[in-house]
Amino acid sequence: MDSDDSVTDPNPHHPDPSLDAEPATVEQMGSLTLGEAGDAAGAERPVGNGFLPADFYAAAGEIEVVEEGSPVSGDLAGPSSLGGSGACRERSGRGDALPSPSSSGYAGERGSSGGSSEIEEADDRETMLDDWSRGKRHPDEDDGSVSWRKRKKHFFILSNSGKPIYSRYGDEHKLAGFSATLQAIISFVENSGDRLKFIRAGKHQVVFLVKVPIYLVCISCTEEPYEALKRQLELIYGQMLLILTKSVNRCFEKNPKYDMTPLLRGTDAVFSSLIHAFSWNPATFLNAYTCLPLSYSTRQAASAILQDVADSGVLFALLMCKNKVVSLVGTQKASLHPDDMLLLSNFIMSSESFRTSESFSPICLPRYNPMVFLYAYVHFLDVDTYLTLLTTSSDSFYHLKDCRIRVETVLVKSNVLSEVQRSMLDGGLRVEDLPLDSSLRSRSLTTPELSSSQTGIGGPSGLWHFMYRSIYLDQYVSSEFSSPISSSSQQKRLFRAYQKLYASMHDNGTGTHKTQFRRDEDFVLLCWITQDFELYAAFDPLADKALAIKTCNRVCQWVRDVENEIFLFGASPFSW
Amino acid sequence: MGLPAMAANEGIQLCVFDSRRGHQEGQELDKILFFFPSDFPYSVQLSVVGLSEGLITFTRIFSPDAACEVIEEERHSHVFYQAEPDIWMVMIVEKNKDNESDWRCDALIDVLKEAHSLFTMFNGSLQALLDKQPSGELARSRLYTFINDYLSDFYVGKKIQVPSFRDCLKERRTVQMLTVSREVAIEVQSLATVIGTSSLGSIACKSLILFQDLLVATTLSPGDTANMFTYAVLRLTPHALSSNTSSWTYLRRGVSGSSITASSGLLNSRSSPEEYHHGSHDSSMGEQSNRYHMPRPLQRDNWSKGKDGFLVCDIQLNVGGLVYLAPVVWLQQSEEHMYLCIYQHRNLTIIVLIPVCSQTDGEQGIALVKKQLLENASEKIVHVEEKLSRGWGGENAYHVSGYRYLLVDTDKSISRTSPPGKVMTLAKDSLFTLNKLREEVDLEKTRANREKPDQEKNLEICIRAKNNSWIIAKITQGRELYMVMEKANETLLYASDAVEKFSDRYCDGAFSLD
Repeated sequence: MDSDDSVTDPNPHHPDPSLDAEPATVEQMGSLTLGEAGDAAGAERPVGNGFLPADFYAAAGEIEVVEEGSPVSGDLAGPSSLGGSGACRERSGRGDALPSPSSSGYAGERGSSGGSSEIEEADDRETMLDDWSRGKRHPDEDDGSVSWRKRKKHFFILSNSGKPIYSRYGDEHKLAGFSATLQAIISFVENSGDRLKFIRAGKHQVVFLVKVPIYLVCISCTEEPYEALKRQLELIYGQMLLILTKSVNRCFEKNPKYDMTPLLRGTDAVFSSLIHAFSWNPATFLNAYTCLPLSYSTRQAASAILQDVADSGVLFALLMCKNKVVSLVGTQKASLHPDDMLLLSNFIMSSESFRTSESFSPICLPRYNPMVFLYAYVHFLDVDTYLTLLTTSSDSFYHLKDCRIRVETVLVKSNVLSEVQRSMLDGGLRVEDLPLDSSLRSRSLTTPELSSSQTGIGGPSGLWHFMYRSIYLDQYVSSEFSSPISSSSQQKRLFRAYQKLYASMHDNGTGTHKTQFRRDEDFVLLCWITQDFELYAAFDPLADKALAIKTCNRVCQWVRDVENEIFLFGASPFSW
Repeated sequence: MGLPAMAANEGIQLCVFDSRRGHQEGQELDKILFFFPSDFPYSVQLSVVGLSEGLITFTRIFSPDAACEVIEEERHSHVFYQAEPDIWMVMIVEKNKDNESDWRCDALIDVLKEAHSLFTMFNGSLQALLDKQPSGELARSRLYTFINDYLSDFYVGKKIQVPSFRDCLKERRTVQMLTVSREVAIEVQSLATVIGTSSLGSIACKSLILFQDLLVATTLSPGDTANMFTYAVLRLTPHALSSNTSSWTYLRRGVSGSSITASSGLLNSRSSPEEYHHGSHDSSMGEQSNRYHMPRPLQRDNWSKGKDGFLVCDIQLNVGGLVYLAPVVWLQQSEEHMYLCIYQHRNLTIIVLIPVCSQTDGEQGIALVKKQLLENASEKIVHVEEKLSRGWGGENAYHVSGYRYLLVDTDKSISRTSPPGKVMTLAKDSLFTLNKLREEVDLEKTRANREKPDQEKNLEICIRAKNNSWIIAKITQGRELYMVMEKANETLLYASDAVEKFSDRYCDGAFSLD
């Protein structure tokens, strides 16, 4: 669902398919809120975050990670069945009658592309057309299937005793033999006192990440650089910790043959959507987050009310629209790592139940503290916009609910929510709007320049796309895709080219490079890294070097001119 | 694999194995045709082969056409080369903590490829040797002497040093040419023609002419030329013969004196290849030598210059009682065996290859060819040598001030580089960065070959590194240019201009924009 995520949205004015389902969702939310109140009243017993079977909590309880008595209404089709929340689960579970906004929106497209039968190609199409948010794909496959072997990108999590924990494709239990093979390979090298990084075979690369007692493996023929794939495994590991915390290691200490699959039951959608993000979301490799463009005053208004609630015992208050931050406030000196934000927003957006009710769920922020659960109060204010309040206290549900009501009231009154929706429709920076020269600098992005034939997207100075990352802010801004890269395959190609460029600039024993110019059949790419920012720009492959350099300077100036609207200031950057 | 025994060793392991052999329990050692260091315990050798075979099988699940090529570990790199359909060569290199051990996997694989193609040139394919003698004894003993002799060139002091990032402005398995004026080229051509016709009967000889360590003319195919050229520079040219001078070409590294000590100790101190037969044979090394009179074309000090100007290969003449002619090489292109006959006049080395099938009366025939060569060509040889010497700019002849470069014509297997002495002046970080860039370009090239084999790859990458040097790679029309400029201006346009100027002047504008 590339087009559903505004960063990569080729047609920002195209009505979002998920909006069609909005009335139904709102209605549902209403009923669930009612149900929730009753639920919370009866929730005096130990409950998990809905994913975890009782035995995990038994173990975790011993190490005082999960506190008891948290009222939980969020349920992601977990196996545990707990008293009062039953009514809620029936509505939000996997077999839910609630029409999935994404699948309904894409039904037509799926039909129209039915002719594609080639497995090698399947990956690309399926990521767009299949409903990856629904979880496991092709559960019937195993390592004996030709189709399974031809998948472009596999991800596996297994234990160091060889027990399968997660596989992107195929049923984990059927892959026990394969998993044991992976374990044997990794352990063989580990036993010799070394550690496997990767294996290369033709266009395939097998990348390993060892986090004893967990092994993670990616088998890919996407030709992404090793560093990129390794980082993806790190993120998958982080996503697992977000759901379970590192205390899961204790289970393996007690019983090396421990079967962890039940702990992650129902979270396939979370991993699928993260893996999907590896091919469209620059945050997965840039180590930065992105903001929704908003006027300075609007963002200030949002930040003020978040600050207000944060002062009342909330660790982090986070207002986001899809993967973009509207505002973020943390107490004390605490700051949120961009990876934690990525994993948290992925977790929330890919879990249907968060959309259908207000939820209070234990989650772990692996970069913040991989050992402990925090508690996340999550509430969707509209289809895409959600407020997340994080706390260390397991019994502050009602307090956070009150906070949310205050925040919501202010946001509605001060028109922040409508501004957010407008911004989603308007999209971000467009290369066509790049100001011609410095005399036009003062104009803001809300009043776009008339595009001139000279600044167009074709010809020798043809700028197609750019990404700008502010190093101090841990934030990046990415332009909308211009017409030469309107198809999703072109966008993916550009994404991969950026990924490679990023690795090439950063991966070396001698420190980050300063500049890189790269021309091949597809693009001219320019990267420019200073102490303050990193600029990645894509041009027509025939672009003239001198003009491309000038254009980059103009882009940087432009970004600085509108920085108040595209970046969030005041959030303390990640700094430990 | 951080095998405990390795710490005390050279830090490299090289293994040749046949995946069809040793499938029965207890017979696993039979797979191994060669292992360096040969004094490694069998258990360790077997575990190296076991891991290699296991990963070849494993990777074929996903990549049936191209099995495992590289295993990268934190402390070791393993590179694989499928030399023949069932014959694999694997090299494992340990990374040192001194930060010097960064290399390009393709450069390591090139070492294996070079070793195999030289081996094949003198011994024919391993498969043929195994067919000839299924127990594998012949193949093992040939590999044992040959690869150990080959590795002797990699010794620096007592340690083997594989090509590292410092060698990123070099391209193994390519030929370095001498640029000559048109007038001289015509004379060289006429010399080559004379050599070609100075054979017996109607069968033509082939030839290679080298001046110093550079190729002047060849009548062989590019592949055979590259092999023969490599061999000549390793063992035949005046530089190679005078073991006390270290050559300025990169094919020979280190000070030869120490290499010889290391290599002569190599064969004596290590266990003989019979040990591979785990008791099934009890022949001694000496007997084996007699049986197969193992020629050792890569043994140092094997060749010496005779009074008549022809090089003499000692060892062949010493083989007990057997009439042994000049060494024989196998040409891939024409698929024929050729006698090797080398004539040297000052800095000119002429390699004449005489078809074996044309020689019915062995020794006499070769003597006749030699005689004819001297009669018909000696005047020309003297003349050409003089001309070349006069025009020769010395070892820095191809230095271009301000640039450190490597230029490769992949189609013709030709390369030209900045003189090693000049490359040595570069900062470590510059070489490090270029090495990384080349690794990236290697991947792009193989990818392009796979996806669009019939389309020329075009690629240009200019990096300004942290130390302010410009690191550049350009690929176009089958030619590759790698460049480091350390004292260039900071703008990209300046760097591009500099490349353009270089291209116009030294590459016929191949890398210039039109």
